[in-house]
Amino acid sequence: MSGGGGEKGLTTTKTPADFLKSIRGRPVVVKLNSGVDYRGILACLDGYMNIAMEQTEEYVNGQLKNKYGDAFIRGNNVLYISTSKRTLAEGA
Amino acid sequence: MASEEESAVKEPLDLIRLSLDERIYVKLRSDRELRGKLHAYDQHLNMILGDVEEIITTVEIDDETYEEIVRTTRRTVPFLFVRGDGVILVSPPLRTA
Repeated sequence: MSGGGGEKGLTTTKTPADFLKSIRGRPVVVKLNSGVDYRGILACLDGYMNIAMEQTEEYVNGQLKNKYGDAFIRGNNVLYISTSKRTLAEGA
Repeated sequence: MASEEESAVKEPLDLIRLSLDERIYVKLRSDRELRGKLHAYDQHLNMILGDVEEIITTVEIDDETYEEIVRTTRRTVPFLFVRGDGVILVSPPLRTA
């Protein structure tokens, strides 16, 4: 069974569940059905796509609207979860 | 896949449990927000909140000037049951507010 080394982007994830397990702790972009964007560090998530994130920023129409130290998002609102190379705290 | 102990990993709902009896901020559908004390919740995110302030935000567009008028309506409710399907986001209260 082949698994990714250090490169999570190139991991041979077989199912969405594998992807969800692999992205914890990474900075992500979560887009909701309403079009609102949340960027932060993924703390955890479950099979319903309920999400817990840290250092979350809320973007509406591309504009930063709010910041949350911790945020829980109900899974039915989630359109997608995407990993992001940018981190919030460090400017690479 | 029996070698991994996934039961030790917390779910998002476990982390909401840490906010029980604390004041929280809830974002709801229809541009509504709540701030209140979390007494109870379940897996649907149905919640019981105490000493709640509800803020309803509306945006009107003036026909002539096309200016956006943002209005907020507030009300306070001592005890509130929130149906989970309207919940978008739950968070500890915003420090900047």
